[in-house]
Amino acid sequence: MGWLFGDNRKKVNTRQEREKCWESRDLFFGCLDKNNILDVRTEKNSKLAKSACSAELKGFENNCSNSWIKYFKEKRVVDFKKKKIEQEMIENNIQPLNLSPQQYNSMQKK
Amino acid sequence: MFRSILKNNQGLSIINKRVTNIRNPNSFRLLSNNACHQLQNNPLDSKSNKISPNNTKTSTDDITFKSKKPLSRVPIGVDGNSGYRNGNERGNENVNGVNSGSIEFSTWKAGILFIIVGSALSYFFQKEKKRLEVEREAEANRGYGKPLIGGPFKLINSATNEEFTEKDLLNKWSLIYFGFTHCPDICPDELDKLGIWLNTLKSKHNIEIQPIFITCDPARDSPDVIKEYLKDFHEDIIGLTGDYDSIKDVCKKYRVYFSTPPGIQPTQDYLVDHSVFFYLMDPEGNFAQVLGLNSDEVTGVENIKEYVDNFVPTAERQKRDETWYAFLFK
Repeated sequence: MGWLFGDNRKKVNTRQEREKCWESRDLFFGCLDKNNILDVRTEKNSKLAKSACSAELKGFENNCSNSWIKYFKEKRVVDFKKKKIEQEMIENNIQPLNLSPQQYNSMQKK
Repeated sequence: MFRSILKNNQGLSIINKRVTNIRNPNSFRLLSNNACHQLQNNPLDSKSNKISPNNTKTSTDDITFKSKKPLSRVPIGVDGNSGYRNGNERGNENVNGVNSGSIEFSTWKAGILFIIVGSALSYFFQKEKKRLEVEREAEANRGYGKPLIGGPFKLINSATNEEFTEKDLLNKWSLIYFGFTHCPDICPDELDKLGIWLNTLKSKHNIEIQPIFITCDPARDSPDVIKEYLKDFHEDIIGLTGDYDSIKDVCKKYRVYFSTPPGIQPTQDYLVDHSVFFYLMDPEGNFAQVLGLNSDEVTGVENIKEYVDNFVPTAERQKRDETWYAFLFK
């Protein structure tokens, strides 16, 4: 079974390894927050992150597989946008609508 | 031929003896029937029949005899009528009148009765047929509202390496979850949540559920990998895998979207995008409810409990709808 658990993928197969990855991810993202870096997928920001949070980035890359790193980096941006919208809604006192598809359709018709 | 006539004659004499002794009109009718069939070619015929009406002495015997009479096809009627006319000098005109014209009268009466009953029945059946058609259509429409989730599948149980099919869903409630072992954060969270549900349902409500994990990543998730992966979660969870086609088939049947990047090698590092749902399946293997990310540790349990408590087996439901005239609807 060795070939299946080759290199970095082995790290995410047990609960401990998953938690280790999440911890190091949180550390790295916490450092990014401190330095006001949101999207590390851009070249400019990744250079900034490398210089500002080199230790955290190393931990993150060591403890998580590449696909997870890519996924978490994307998720960070999505989560940020989501949070921002939610905050705006609270600030402007907008109530979220929980509509069923039928309700939504009837509203569209009107 | 001669022999048989002789035999008949002998039989007739016995019958005649019996007939003379008869008081019971029912047995009389039977005997006279037999006698008449035997005597169709017999010249003694009229003689023997003349005996019969004269033997029924009382008026009640007469009436019973006459009402039974149409069962006989023999000229007994002709002789009998004359016999009655002569015998019934008590002035029972009514009985005689009905008797004399009974054959013709009953023919057109029966005809009318036939037409009335026939048209009434055909009207009734046509009406019922239409009503049933409407009912069936309504049933079909009701069917459209229910998502067609589930169906036959053939996968491998990672713990035993044995086949696991839709038949293993029968006689127990099941929760089916689709995921993959390399899932970064949602699947492990959901499987942890599943563990909490299972424990709460069992300890609090005494509801046992068969939890099933089906991989969407058959290329990497071999039975051994799933077995290893599920050690971290609730011990009841059954992990299923199979070849790419059977996984694709089961995902299609459960309306699960999943995307394995094209041209992937099992050794490569990739993620599988898939929809995140728990499918609650009833003890008949039918889809009952879907639980998504929005049902948490508490609401999920309540939701499942509601379905388990209100479950009525199909057979019972059908039995409830059935009535004594249910055969008319088949």
